[in-house]
Amino acid sequence: MTTTISNNGNQLIAAFAGRLDTAAAVQTAEDVKPLLEASNKEIILDCTDLEYISSSGLRIFLTVRKEAAPHGNKVIVRNINADIRQVFVMTGFVSLFEIQ
Amino acid sequence: MDLHSEMILAEYDAKLPLIERLQTVVKTTLSDAIDRNGLIVTAVKTRIKTRESLAGKLALKGSKYHSINDITDILGARVITFYTDDVDRIAAMAEKLFDIDWENSVDKRRLHDTDSFGYNSLHYICRLPKTIIDDPELNAIRFELQLRTTLQHAWASINHDIGYKTGVEIPREYLRQINRLAGILEMADDEFSRIRTEITDYRRRVQQLVQNGQLDEVHLDGDTFRSYLNARPFDSLNRRIAALNQAEIQEVPLDNYLRVFIALDCKTLGDIDQMKKRYEEDAYTLARHQLGNTDLDIISSSVGIQNICIVCILAQGWGKTGLTRLFNALNGDNPQNVMLADMTYEQAKNLPFMKS
Repeated sequence: MTTTISNNGNQLIAAFAGRLDTAAAVQTAEDVKPLLEASNKEIILDCTDLEYISSSGLRIFLTVRKEAAPHGNKVIVRNINADIRQVFVMTGFVSLFEIQ
Repeated sequence: MDLHSEMILAEYDAKLPLIERLQTVVKTTLSDAIDRNGLIVTAVKTRIKTRESLAGKLALKGSKYHSINDITDILGARVITFYTDDVDRIAAMAEKLFDIDWENSVDKRRLHDTDSFGYNSLHYICRLPKTIIDDPELNAIRFELQLRTTLQHAWASINHDIGYKTGVEIPREYLRQINRLAGILEMADDEFSRIRTEITDYRRRVQQLVQNGQLDEVHLDGDTFRSYLNARPFDSLNRRIAALNQAEIQEVPLDNYLRVFIALDCKTLGDIDQMKKRYEEDAYTLARHQLGNTDLDIISSSVGIQNICIVCILAQGWGKTGLTRLFNALNGDNPQNVMLADMTYEQAKNLPFMKS
């Protein structure tokens, strides 16, 4: 599991690759810390290469979302695969994020 | 300038640090009390009369004052409110906070004859009581507290700008026009207060109807929907769904479902409640079917309401198109919503509530 953070003007992009399961969650939570500290950015959670997300992964996404509003950030989840889309619907997370 | 006035100015210079201390205490006391009482105001301002302004005042009527303590507006505080009712509320608050010099205080709002309009503001001359700060020197200095609404403040500021800044006397015709505006603003102030009171009454009535379960009588809008959500009608369903995987429930706002219910032709809170009762069990069945085979132990508090809407749409036979509209209403128009709708439809297609 890898997380790559990059800047693109007003956007802060976190590209996830691999399986975001319980084992990977600790490192991923550490990797996304720059997203929690950003201000007035569009934060893109790029899931193009994310194969799987567990509850621990959802908690990380939720933390990013919770921290975003007070810092004036907007969070967009991009390119989730069918399995992850299913997870988002089942858990009600689908109405928490803008999904592109 | 005569010697008497020069002595008062020297007293001003000597007492300036004390007056600055008074300014800080007055501003903090007022701001804290306003917060404590849950009042929202436009501004809490304080100012110390400048040496030049005091010299001007002394030049005009210096013999009236024996010492600096006779000048009641050496420190001025002003609270600007949104509503006229709040002027009275803050006045009551100030009466409890400060020692009021009633003899020198004046309610300019009550000074107008029935056929005159103009400056409206409540002026209290106050002292800090020992209960706030026990310092004889500070307790001795009087200060002026002005209370007015935003509209009264706007009128007073513009009137001051037009009337005094130029130093040229304004023709009667223009003075009449300015005072006419004071009358209009007084009406506007009263209207704002009346509207606020009516909205508060309306909200109270809605809450009462919601508490009494008379939901059919409550028209669906943003306000009433919030009242309905305050009763947490989806909690029991969420808890049943969470129990499937011993999941934690993340609280999220549900306000965005208002447009979904409107799109589903709900006209009253009763319509939503009937929909909830009708489809609650099927919404649980859908959740059990979806989550039962997973180890997902986190759900959002929107899952219950979401599943009720999904089931309602599918049970009505509105299929994938209806689901796409649901996700569009929740997330904004987006091509991903078609895929979400397809996937949700596939998951639910064999469940009993699906219309054949």
